[in-house]
Order: sequence, then structure tokens, then C-alpha cells
Amino acid sequence: MAKSVIPIGPWHPLQEEPEFFTLTVDGETVVDMDVSIGYNHRGIEKLSEMKSFDQATFVIERICGICSTSHPFAYTRAVEDVIPVEVPDRAKYIRTIIAETERIHSHLLWLGLAGHFLGYNTIYHWVWKLREEILDVCEILTGNRNNYAIFKPGGVRRDFNMDDIPLVLRKIDGIIPTVDRLKKAILDDPVLHARLKGIGILTKEEVIDYSALGPTARASGVAKDVRKDAPYGAYDRVDWDMIVTENGDVFDKVVVRVLETYESIKIVKTCIAELPGGEIDLNIKDIPPGEGIGAHEAPRGETFHYIRSDGTNRPARHKVRAPTFMNLPTYKATVIGETISYATIILAAIDPCYCCTERMAVRDVEGKRLFGGPDLVKLSQEKTARMKREMGMP
Amino acid sequence: MKLPKARELVEAIKALIVGPYTSKFPYKPHVPYKSFRGQPKYDPDKCVGCLACEQVCPAEAIGHEDITDGGEAKRVMYHYTDTCIFCGTCELACIADNEGIKLSNDWELAFFDRKTESFETIDKELQLCEICGEVIACKDHLRWISERIGELSFSSPTLYYSKLKELGVIDENIVSALRDSGRSDRFKILCARCRRETTLT
Ligand code: SF4
Ligand code: SF4
Repeated sequence: MAKSVIPIGPWHPLQEEPEFFTLTVDGETVVDMDVSIGYNHRGIEKLSEMKSFDQATFVIERICGICSTSHPFAYTRAVEDVIPVEVPDRAKYIRTIIAETERIHSHLLWLGLAGHFLGYNTIYHWVWKLREEILDVCEILTGNRNNYAIFKPGGVRRDFNMDDIPLVLRKIDGIIPTVDRLKKAILDDPVLHARLKGIGILTKEEVIDYSALGPTARASGVAKDVRKDAPYGAYDRVDWDMIVTENGDVFDKVVVRVLETYESIKIVKTCIAELPGGEIDLNIKDIPPGEGIGAHEAPRGETFHYIRSDGTNRPARHKVRAPTFMNLPTYKATVIGETISYATIILAAIDPCYCCTERMAVRDVEGKRLFGGPDLVKLSQEKTARMKREMGMP
Repeated sequence: MKLPKARELVEAIKALIVGPYTSKFPYKPHVPYKSFRGQPKYDPDKCVGCLACEQVCPAEAIGHEDITDGGEAKRVMYHYTDTCIFCGTCELACIADNEGIKLSNDWELAFFDRKTESFETIDKELQLCEICGEVIACKDHLRWISERIGELSFSSPTLYYSKLKELGVIDENIVSALRDSGRSDRFKILCARCRRETTLT
């Protein structure tokens, strides 16, 4: 049987990120696929190890332009875990509010893009117009649309100006009718039903096997969310629901994201209403030697940071795991067996963020990738064996 | 089948009446919200030239240059627009009641020539050591310290002479021709090294 290979990338025309898919097709159907990333390795971990704990927050913030709260949130939690300390209540609420406004705009961004991928540009323009309102809210609260520069180990850098709060609430209330209309437009649209239902199904077992995260997992009936499973910030003090659907197809991923937008709006409004007074920062002066981990439920799933401190003012080791790292391999389960035209939207359905995922790329001078999957597994096994030996374990 | 398209039609008609959502920039200026973090600007009167902002800046967007030849002694503080990330850490760390450098609402920062237009500067007068001519600190900074520590500043000639200079009692920034690094030099404005030398003799 003759098979052809369709390359997509290395610059994805729609997702606008450097990644390279090779789809092996048989006629219209994808029979195998591979993803290659590593085009945009920025050395973030190394950079962060060159900055002080306080300054590193800004590098971390730039891991992702969309999750520019999620990474600092996880990072500051990791640093606070080293000491360990609890941040003041007001800081917790402020962090939660920013994180949730970010989730709203990130989900809206994805919805718009999904419309764009499907050639349904009405949705795209509609949603992105709506998203501007939320970005305005971010700007009013923190001083910028993205890269909020508000997180710091031990609390937050700047307090809200309480005079702005009525305007913020007005803006958030203002978007609810549009989100309602949008929800109906997306969820009743016959074309979207035809294109998204039963497409790219990720079963519950596959989610568990691949350890998929975030909306990708929740759309397949796996109820996992760091905000509920190990609450932090103000997530255990406000009332909100985890959105879980059962089908695991692309349509359900849309549903999860639309409904989560409502939950986020609810969290933001409750947090603003219940915003406690008091300090916003612990003014941490020293970070003792030790290790710490921090996680945050980013819009795309759990983001995870690990910090090792040697008692100086810089992280000795900083490890970042972005949610896409876990979600990316699920392509094997979802894309294979579908047609090429569906592959476009399935590849976008996990809301991938390749640049944030890239932590390591080893290439020779000709640009050839040196370590493939099996090599990495071997390296990892060797390291585990070496560590065991050093620690005197059997 | 018909209902969803009706929704879009309503939206389209609304857009026809309301007009485009996008603004007319650059024909109409864009006014950001009050809290917007734009270009940080120095206040030459408030800044004391302590370099705290330079130390904390995560993007290394602040630098300085000490000029001590040609009869002047000044510290030029640089703020580089092209590397700044507008995070506001400098403002939060500023020792002059957060007023030496302040984020403005200014966001239109395009320029043509990176070599000459990508930075803003202010000048601060430097205090030199009267024996060796080394830079001690900015004059304003010494005054700032002596004000903060009150009468304790009388224990340091460098500090209280700085204070006296403000009153116009002494004014020159001279490097003494006579030097014996002994008793007579103790009552001068000195850098840490010369202070140690004079004290130990
Ligand atoms: S705003 Fe941030 S990046 Fe810019 S000068 Fe101040 S500290 Fe540096
Ligand atoms: S007074 Fe403020 S602005 Fe001036 S150098 Fe010190 S920290 Fe920077």
C-alpha cells in the first residue's frame, strides 16, 4: 500500500509556533504521525538560574505570553515551598483573581483560534473582540495586558487600586451576555457539530495512560484539576465547580473551555467581593538551602516547577514542566485514524504551547537531532541507576 | 438550523450601527488606563543616584557611568528603553520614597536610531574623595544618608561635611594637593580606603 508523508511546519501557519508534524497518510487517512519540536529553545531554566529569586519571576513570566501568570504562580509556590511559608490572604486572593482573568482570556483566545482553524472566522473575530475586554481588565488591575509583573516569592508586588474595582466589575459583567450568546452560537451550530463531534476522541483510559492534563483530561471524564485536588491560593475559599464531560472528542474540549470561562468569571467576582485586607507581601529576605515544588492549574493543565536552593540568592536548579509536555503525546491516540482535514483541529484541540514546552534540544552542527525518545529513556535509566548507586540503594 | 445564523446576523447588524471595534490609531491617540505600566522616568530632583534601581532591574535596563575627568564629577544614570520590560521593580526599590524613578503612562516609544535614541539619562553630581579622587557616592545620596541617620552622621566627617555643603559653608569638590594621610586628613570627605588609611596612621 502506497503511503505518503505530509509535512506540516516547521512553522505552523495557523498556530504560529515552530513545530513540525509529519503525518503519514494513506489516502485521506492519517496512519502515523510524529511531532518534532526544539526549534525555539530559549534556555529559560539557565537564564532563571542566573537571576536572583526575585528577578527570575520576570523570566519565568515570559515562558508563555498567554500563561504569563501560571508559570510565575507555580514558580513562586515552589520558592515558598523551599522556605516554607504561607503568603498573606490578600496576596492569595490577588493571585487567584489574576490567574482566573488569565484563564478567561486564554480560553477565549483558544475558542477564537479554533473558529479560525475551522474556517469559521466569525467566531474568531467575535471572541477576540470579547477577549479585549478581559485584557482591559488585566491592564486595569496589573498595568499590562500580559506579563503582569505582579507575582513575587512571598506575595504580590503591587496592590489593586480599589478605585478601579467598580470599573473592573462592570467590564466583567459586561462580557457575560456576549459569552452567553457565544456559548449558544458555538454549542448549537450544526456545522461545528458536524465538524467536531466524534472527532479526535481521547478515551478515559488513554488520558490516564498518557497522564494528560487540564481541559484535555477533563473533556474525557477524568476529573483532575490542581485547584480542586490540592487547593492553593483562594481556590478552597470560593465556590466553583470543576467542569468534566465524558466524550473526549474535540467538541467536548470546546464545551469544557466555554463552561470553564463561566467558572472563572464566578471565581473572579467572588474573590473581588471577598477580597480581604492586610499585607500583600511577606518581604522574604533569605531563601534557605532546600528543595521545593510548586504547581498551578494553567489554562492548558497543570504547570509544574521545581526549585533547588543552595542558600544563595539564586536558584541552583530550576526545572519547568509546561502542561503541553504531557498533552502533546496524546496526538498519537487522537490524530491517527482521522482524516487530514480533521487533523488540523485535533492538533489544536489540546491548546498546545510548544515554545513553553521546550526545555531541551540537542543537535549537532548539521542541525540533526541527537537524542530521540529511546535515547532519552536510556539516559534517564542510566541516571537513575547512577543515583541509586551513589545513594547506596540496591 | 436557522437560529444560529440569526444570532450572527444580529451581531453583524449591530456592528454596522456601532462601527468598527478597532480604534483609529494612529490618527486618534490611544490613552491607556491610569494604572498602565509604561516607560520609567527619572526625576532628577528626587533621585539621589544610589543605584538601587540598577541592582534590582531584572532586565539590566538601567546603567550608569561615572565621569570624573575634565573638571567635572558626575554620575550619568541611563535608562535603556529598548531593554526595559516595564516591570516597575525599579520604582518599588527606589530609596527616594519610590519617586526617583517612576513608571509613566508613556507607551509610544518607537525611535529610529538605537545608538543615540534608545536611552534616557539624568546627571547627578558626584562626591570625590579629597585625597585620592575616588568616587564615594552622589552628593545627594550622602545628604540623604545623613538626613536619615540624624545626629549619628556627626560621627562621620564625610557625612556631616556633605550636610555642611548643602548649607553653603563649604562647597568645593577638590582633591587636596597636600596629603599626609594622617591627622590633618581625618577631617576631610574620604572614600572608605583613605578613611581606613588615615585612621590607622
Ligand atoms: S521597569 Fe523593570 S526593566 Fe524597566 S528599568 Fe525598571 S526595573 Fe528595569
Ligand atoms: S534614588 Fe531611586 S531612582 Fe535614583 S538611583 Fe536610587 S533607586 Fe534609582
